[in-house]
Amino acid sequence: MSFRTIAAVTRKEIHHILRDRATFILVLLAPTILLFLMAYAVTTDIKDVPIAVLDRDQSSLSRQFVERITAGEDLQLKASVQDMDEIESLLQRGQIKAAVVIDPSFSSDLVGMRGMPVLIIIDGTEPESGSFAVEHVGWRAEEFVYAALADQLQSMGLSSDSMAPVDLRVRAWYNPGLKPRVDVIPGLLSMVMGFPALSVALTLAHEREHGTLEQLLASPVRRTELIIGKMVPYVLVGMANVIFLPLLAVLWFKVPFNGNFLLFFFLSVIFLFSILSLGVVVGVFMRTQAAALALSFLLIFFPGFFMTGIFFPIASMPEMMRMEALGLPGTHYAIITRSAFLTAVGLDVLWPYVVMMAFLGVAFTSVAALFFKKRLA
Amino acid sequence: MSSRIWSLVKKEFIHLVNDWWLPLFMLLGGATELLLVGWATSRPITNLPLVVLDQDRSSASRAFIAQVENTGTFRTAEEASDLDEIHDELRRGDVTAAIVIPPDYADKLLDSQAQPEVAVLLNGAESIPATAGLRAIEGVVRAVGDELLLETLSVPEEELSGFVPRLRVWFNESLSEALYTTPAELGLMLEFTVLLFAALAFSRERELGTLEQLLVMPFSSMELIIGKSIPVVIIGFTDFLLMLGMVHFVFGVPVRGSLPLLLVLALIYLLVELCKGLVISVMSRSQHQAFLLVMMVGMADFMFTGYAAPVESMPQLLQAAANLVPAHHWMEILRGILLKASGIEVLWPHIMALVALGLLVGGFSIRYVRRALD
Amino acid sequence: MTGPEAVICLEEIGRDFKDTHAVRDLTVTIYRGDLFGLVGPDGAGKTTTLRLLAGLLSVTSGSGKVNELDLGSQAEKIKPQIGYMAQRFSLYANLTVEENLNFFADIYHVERGKIPARMEELLEFAGLQDFRSRRAEHLSGGMQKKLALACTLIHEPQILLLDEPTTGVDPISRREFWRILTNLHLRGTTIVVSTPYMDEADRCSRVGLIVEGRLAACDTPERIKKRLDAEVIKVYPETWELARNLKVDLPGVLEMQTYGDALHILVDSAEKRVGQIEKFYRKHKVPLRSIRAAPVRMEEVFISTIRNLGNEPDRDAISEATQEA
Repeated sequence: MSFRTIAAVTRKEIHHILRDRATFILVLLAPTILLFLMAYAVTTDIKDVPIAVLDRDQSSLSRQFVERITAGEDLQLKASVQDMDEIESLLQRGQIKAAVVIDPSFSSDLVGMRGMPVLIIIDGTEPESGSFAVEHVGWRAEEFVYAALADQLQSMGLSSDSMAPVDLRVRAWYNPGLKPRVDVIPGLLSMVMGFPALSVALTLAHEREHGTLEQLLASPVRRTELIIGKMVPYVLVGMANVIFLPLLAVLWFKVPFNGNFLLFFFLSVIFLFSILSLGVVVGVFMRTQAAALALSFLLIFFPGFFMTGIFFPIASMPEMMRMEALGLPGTHYAIITRSAFLTAVGLDVLWPYVVMMAFLGVAFTSVAALFFKKRLA
Repeated sequence: MSSRIWSLVKKEFIHLVNDWWLPLFMLLGGATELLLVGWATSRPITNLPLVVLDQDRSSASRAFIAQVENTGTFRTAEEASDLDEIHDELRRGDVTAAIVIPPDYADKLLDSQAQPEVAVLLNGAESIPATAGLRAIEGVVRAVGDELLLETLSVPEEELSGFVPRLRVWFNESLSEALYTTPAELGLMLEFTVLLFAALAFSRERELGTLEQLLVMPFSSMELIIGKSIPVVIIGFTDFLLMLGMVHFVFGVPVRGSLPLLLVLALIYLLVELCKGLVISVMSRSQHQAFLLVMMVGMADFMFTGYAAPVESMPQLLQAAANLVPAHHWMEILRGILLKASGIEVLWPHIMALVALGLLVGGFSIRYVRRALD
Repeated sequence: MTGPEAVICLEEIGRDFKDTHAVRDLTVTIYRGDLFGLVGPDGAGKTTTLRLLAGLLSVTSGSGKVNELDLGSQAEKIKPQIGYMAQRFSLYANLTVEENLNFFADIYHVERGKIPARMEELLEFAGLQDFRSRRAEHLSGGMQKKLALACTLIHEPQILLLDEPTTGVDPISRREFWRILTNLHLRGTTIVVSTPYMDEADRCSRVGLIVEGRLAACDTPERIKKRLDAEVIKVYPETWELARNLKVDLPGVLEMQTYGDALHILVDSAEKRVGQIEKFYRKHKVPLRSIRAAPVRMEEVFISTIRNLGNEPDRDAISEATQEA
């Protein structure tokens, strides 16, 4: 393997990239723009969930209850309705996400300590809002019950405090508020960091389509020299992103960075090698750029988004899908980024993921080198 | 004019057949991907790793743990021997949640004046499963509390209505995750497929130098546009049918509303995205460029599909902007017709918006493309 | 004195594609210092043959050797020793002339110290000194071909494989190109060049006529022309349509070929037949602008050969050539 040849290929690639100004800017900035867009999409805290209330009791107690549950920013009382049909229509139109129906026997049941007859209806097509409403109403309702029954309980010698059976002391490590933005943003970062792989997939097919591959194949250039030479510029782009994106995450999105940056940088380079090799594999097998970009979208982008454990925990996936997730470099890198930002663990914990990424990188490069023949046909 | 268009369409299909990977990916790739991703993500959050330090070892504490396991959110709990072990597992990210039950749990539970302190440690580095786990545990606590309250108040069971609000779920009684994730994934897949395909239309010819050739031929720019669009529409629509079939038969997503209406609206949506794609294809000097632009536009739209977060929770400005995104209206229409049996009476604002956007984007794009081609 | 050294040996080599035999049973030996022209119509297999030699296509039947190295198994060892110029412009459009040259210099591991001098030499050679900083996409067609040639020469290969290097190039550039090739030939480089232009075939030291994947003839241009064993009479009729369909059915007339607005009649002896043919046309009321004897050219041989191919391939001609050489 000749360093000189690899350098020549790299230099050529860099010329190509730089001279197509528009594309270069896109390649450089795409990860940042994507991170930005997606971070906003996923880190919106749920609030102002619109609900309707059907109060069939109309007592002072029920009115207090309604006030209790709609206080604050979480739920927004969109409408007070008179019947179920109205609720149905509002849910249908998506104007409310949940409805609270208070039975006529609400206050009498409560005072008589027989229970709290309240029905919550949620829009099952949007469980996020729906379950949020259920959580919230349930929690507020519980408080309300204990407050309302305070007198009765006192007479029995019980304090309302003691009615909660268990005192749950919850402590969330690394993310005290359990806010999605804190851990999903590092996850997204791991996803966009692999974006240059899509461009790598195109570069071999580009040479094929434009006919320049013929001249290369007739020369003594070796396959690995060609592949590595083509990856290097994108490794450089990746490295620039490794420095810039965490800055963005910390300064703009206020995500903490608790780990060792140097370690993170080094592990990120291994990831880049790994994911770019996957891009190369796609490029080796596809004759045209169109096919290469379609395949890289299907194999790298889409799974990188949905299957790397960023949104949906891998533990909950069916066995076969879990295996597939393990074959994606992004899955392991997501754990590494999360550790860099949040858990700050070292190689003693991270080494299996590093090994996996390196292994995948070597495997992909080998497959690429094996199938990339130095012949036209 | 139609014979010229027809010859263009034939040429496009010949290209497609020659590079048959492309339509293969577009058609089967989309549906297969949807199958895999849907399969992976459409279950409830379950099988989360849990570790427990039971310092009480009473039947009450064991019952508590059993109830937590029964929620299905966690797998069988591992037992830890001390707090250090728990801290280590949390550090390694090996568990989602750890429960520490104090030695006086059972005693304090029965004591009406005192509450046992149960510690729950969560792995906040993965907040989504951690939150799910916490909700499960809190649910168990509330259930226990409910039981206790009933016992204390010693009200006969028949007269009880419980102190926890009853829950009814509309449109998705089983709360099957598949019903809300797969339509969204379908929408996303369709958008990307059409955009990608359309974005290649002219950028590919421009990059390879064959556009010049086309332009000197006696096609009007309108004919060129239509000729290029027809294959995209055919493949896009077929893809939609395939994916719809997939989510219906494999994931059990119903079609409660009018299927013909859905198909018509799908076609309209397709055309809108097609126009967007054509603009991109004419703006781009290379396929690479077109591809990158599609990725960004697609992900920008993703934000407004409500997959990750409900649009109502976004700042006002973004909520207003959502109305300008065709994908947003399409998602509402898709979900509405599939799950809520919504008809035109309910959906008309979204339909109007989609059509209006379609005319706007379509008109602009046609003019833009014609100008660029001429 | 030892005979000329065989540099390229192809032994019944063949290459199939999905439904065609692009090249079959091709046997030829090319010697050091040859300027070998591969001549044939479109689709005859010229490009396939050159690609086989360059190690760009795998061999599906037969075998071949370049500099004693086997094409099937040692193609990568062969590549540093050859220079290949593809038919289609295969250089990097958005790199400059210099950048393209430097790139190939690097991947062929040209000694670093030698590069500047070599580049200057090549730029001068190709007439591109004033264009060194211009991007390849902004060069004219002729200059692009010259640049491509320069890139194949940068590592001073002893064997050159050029696929239709002058196709699509203006006549002046074409002449310059051949000046360069002749120069290289005189310096001892072995050159295999494919061309659809018959007049270029005349400039080669040996010519291989390739039709439908097979070598129909292989010899020096003179011998090939002689093998036709005929002389040519050129006839320019006043009105083309009248003469076109008139078959000159006289003894001694071997063949008739059309050339634009002229007819070339192959006869056993021009002297003998000129008068007879003139009389023939007069008898059939076809006025002629001119009629005269002309030297045999490759075109005539070529067309005649193709016509006769239906019968039997010119095996004797080929084996004669290989024996004599």
